[in-house]
Amino acid sequence: MAEAKCTCSNPLVPGLVEVVNIIDETPDVKTFYVRKPEGGVPFNVRPGQLAMVSVLPTGEGMFSVSWQEENDHLEFAIRRVGLMTDELHTVEIGQKLGVRGPYGNGFPVEECKGQDMLFIAGGIGLAPLRSFIKYCFKHREDYGKITILYGCRSYADLCFKDEIFETWPQMKDTEVYITIDREEAGWEGHVGFVPAYLEEINPSPKGRVAVICGPPIMIKLGLKSLEKMGYTDQQVISTLEMRMKCGIGKCGRCNVGSEFICLDGPVFTLEQLKKLPPEW
Amino acid sequence: MKILSKQKLTAAFDQLAEKAELLVPMQKGATSAFLPWPEFEPGRDELRLEALNVDKPPKDAVLPQTERMYKFSASGPEVAVQEVYEISSPRIVFGIRPCDFRGIECLDQVFLTRGYADGFYQSRRDNTVFIAQACYQPGPNCFCNAMGVDPVKPQADVTIHDLGDGYAWEPLTPKGEETTEMISDLLQEKKADLPEVKPFTRQVAYAGLAEKLKDLFEHPIWEKLSDPCQNCGICTYSCPTCYCFDIQVKSFGEAGYRFRCWDSCMYREYTLMAGGHNPREASRERFRNRFLHKLQFFQERYGQPLCIGCGRCLIVCPAGISIVNIMQELKEVE
Repeated sequence: MAEAKCTCSNPLVPGLVEVVNIIDETPDVKTFYVRKPEGGVPFNVRPGQLAMVSVLPTGEGMFSVSWQEENDHLEFAIRRVGLMTDELHTVEIGQKLGVRGPYGNGFPVEECKGQDMLFIAGGIGLAPLRSFIKYCFKHREDYGKITILYGCRSYADLCFKDEIFETWPQMKDTEVYITIDREEAGWEGHVGFVPAYLEEINPSPKGRVAVICGPPIMIKLGLKSLEKMGYTDQQVISTLEMRMKCGIGKCGRCNVGSEFICLDGPVFTLEQLKKLPPEW
Repeated sequence: MKILSKQKLTAAFDQLAEKAELLVPMQKGATSAFLPWPEFEPGRDELRLEALNVDKPPKDAVLPQTERMYKFSASGPEVAVQEVYEISSPRIVFGIRPCDFRGIECLDQVFLTRGYADGFYQSRRDNTVFIAQACYQPGPNCFCNAMGVDPVKPQADVTIHDLGDGYAWEPLTPKGEETTEMISDLLQEKKADLPEVKPFTRQVAYAGLAEKLKDLFEHPIWEKLSDPCQNCGICTYSCPTCYCFDIQVKSFGEAGYRFRCWDSCMYREYTLMAGGHNPREASRERFRNRFLHKLQFFQERYGQPLCIGCGRCLIVCPAGISIVNIMQELKEVE
């Protein structure tokens, strides 16, 4: 019997990386820095793109890459919410993980050049936006004013505290607004939900692009607020999350209408989202 | 025209099975499926070349129900991964019907286009020869013509036409020519007339429906249509075009393998996220997504519906749900 030929390599098989740093962001979020065992990033990632992280043998999960630091490492900020992330949160520096990607379209960083930027995030939703925010700071001259609005349930739940309280507010032409859902002792900042705070700050839509990510309910209400504030559907960008298995538009489950979030998204303009069924 | 006499059929099977794994339509116990010819036992099993559709569609020839992807070992911080290809030999699928072959073409669209070629699928597909059998007498549940399939002109590697005492043998691709060579001593050159195509008994209203469905997403009719559905998933497993898969792990201590397996959009877990959010929590939402995927979404993405009119789901659904009736109701609703 003739030998069958293997006719191509497979994008579903992960490469190996090593965890080189772990940062405790909140009681249930850690940021993992990973690089190839021989050094360097496993692949180059554009802001907003995704990668599948494997904890062997437990499982695989799709995460946005919250930053690529040159050719040194990738950063993933990951919340502990289930079987695989529980396991991931127990690993220590030196642990080998599987990773495959990059997947998805990423943010339109080129198209946004010359614009003022408004970033709106809730909870772990800052993780994907962080890659775009840091990209803007790295290419500061290419973008106008930067406004960042970030909200969480409590102070303890705020991710990237060094950046949101120290680094980012000191950047040129940058305003950072932080809010938490409920009053708590020691918190003197704003209290309230993100969409309401957004309307209070009310950044003008003129020459500005809004990028929003968070829990689905926050995105839905935030989109309404932006509309009320005069943002057109082309000026609003969001990044969606669905359950994913393959990452390459084949396994089926992450469809919204005829689009696959892993391949055609996760980033969509509101104009594109409105053409899709509201099933996300 | 090349003719393979039915008297020489098993000789042809023997010859083809020497060169490749030959899958033929066969009744084995309660189920009919495309199964390896060497496993055929006269008296116990029955060849089902006359069957318009065997129970199990032949999609597993290119998309097995479970398929290993890679092996791994994980010992403390150290991890190793090694790719696995389970495919061991070239295959010939003999007697696939034109609807089922269109199903394979749908899978080709999914697995081989749009940015990524799936290596596991591509390997199987490249190593598989499809010999399709034209249909001249549509069955009571057949409606392939309404879904854009020509029942006598499948674009497979070889098409065969049942002439009564033999099969007209028509190679259409280089792979088909190569396969024809394997049994050239059994083929005769003769003049023959192909049969007349008998009319379809089922009339199905698909034309124009994909366009109309764009405005029916929120329509209350989905409540009524989905009401009988038990979300059992049998329609998805018996469908020649349903391709959704899950990726799962099997581990034995420190070693194991990751594999993929057929999944079903009928199940709640299919879209359930670790945080608890589920965009298709309700049975009605999963039902709607399945039919819109078949009739609208796939059409929008790939230019053809993801239903090929084989009629299997009409037969197997325990609730008697019929995609034919659903199309009719959607077509009529305002």
